[in-house]
Amino acid sequence: MGAVKLILDLLKTDNIKVKVKANNWKEVVEKAGKLLKDADYVEEEYIKAMKDAIIDNGPYVVIGKGIALLHARPEDGVKKMGMSLVTLKEAVEFGNKNNDPVKIAFAFCAEDNKKHINAIADLSQVLMEEDSVNKIAAMKSSEEIIDYIKSSVEKNQ
Amino acid sequence: MKVLAVCGMGLGSSLILKMNIEKAMEEEGIKGTVEVRDLSSIQGERADFIFASEEIAAKIEHNAEVYSVKNMTDKKEIKEKILEASQRGEN
Repeated sequence: MGAVKLILDLLKTDNIKVKVKANNWKEVVEKAGKLLKDADYVEEEYIKAMKDAIIDNGPYVVIGKGIALLHARPEDGVKKMGMSLVTLKEAVEFGNKNNDPVKIAFAFCAEDNKKHINAIADLSQVLMEEDSVNKIAAMKSSEEIIDYIKSSVEKNQ
Repeated sequence: MKVLAVCGMGLGSSLILKMNIEKAMEEEGIKGTVEVRDLSSIQGERADFIFASEEIAAKIEHNAEVYSVKNMTDKKEIKEKILEASQRGEN
C-alpha cells in the first residue's frame, strides 16, 4: 500500500477512452469518473464530489490550455489510488476564460495527499511538453497514448 | 523565499504548480521552498509569495503577495512570475 506510484502504474489502457462525445463539462466529469468507478478505484459518490468541487471552486481545474485535471478528496469515496483519461471528440467549454475549451481530461483519485505525488509529477512533465495536448487529443487508441506518455516520461528522466 | 502553491484541495493543480515553480526556480538559480496548501489552510501561515490559479487567487486574503497563474503548464508564464517575485523579495 505504501509505495509511491508512477503515472504508468496508475494509468492503464483500460482507464483511457479516446474520442469521447460529451455535451457539457458535467458529462466530461461523469465519463472520466465512470472509468475510475469501473476500475473499482472509487465509489459512485466520488463522481458527484468531482462535479461539486468545480461548482464550489470554479473551473480552475482547467489547469492549462485544453487540459482538465479532475479530482475530489480521499474521503469522498476513494477505494484505491488511480487515474483515468478521456480525450474528447469535440472540445468542451468548462467556463475557464484562459484555457477553454477542454480537449483532454485526466481524473484521479488519491488515498492521501502524498502517494500520488510522483504520478502527478510525471503528468506535469508530459503536459509541459510542446503541443502535448493536441498530440494526445489526436491519438486514436489508448495504446498510442500510453506509448506517448511513456516516451515523454523516459525522455525527462 | 517561501512560496505556497494553493488550490481548492491541495491535491491536484497546486501540485502541478509547485513542480513547475520548483523547476523554474532551479533553472533560474532562485533559492527557496515551495509548499502545497489548500485554500482553507493558509490563514496565519507565514509566506513570502502565494501562487494560485486566477479563480483561487481571487479568494485569497493574505499578507503575502499573491500571484495568479493563468496556465499552470506554461513554463514561460511561471518563470516570468517567479523571477518577478524573487526580484521583489530582494528589495
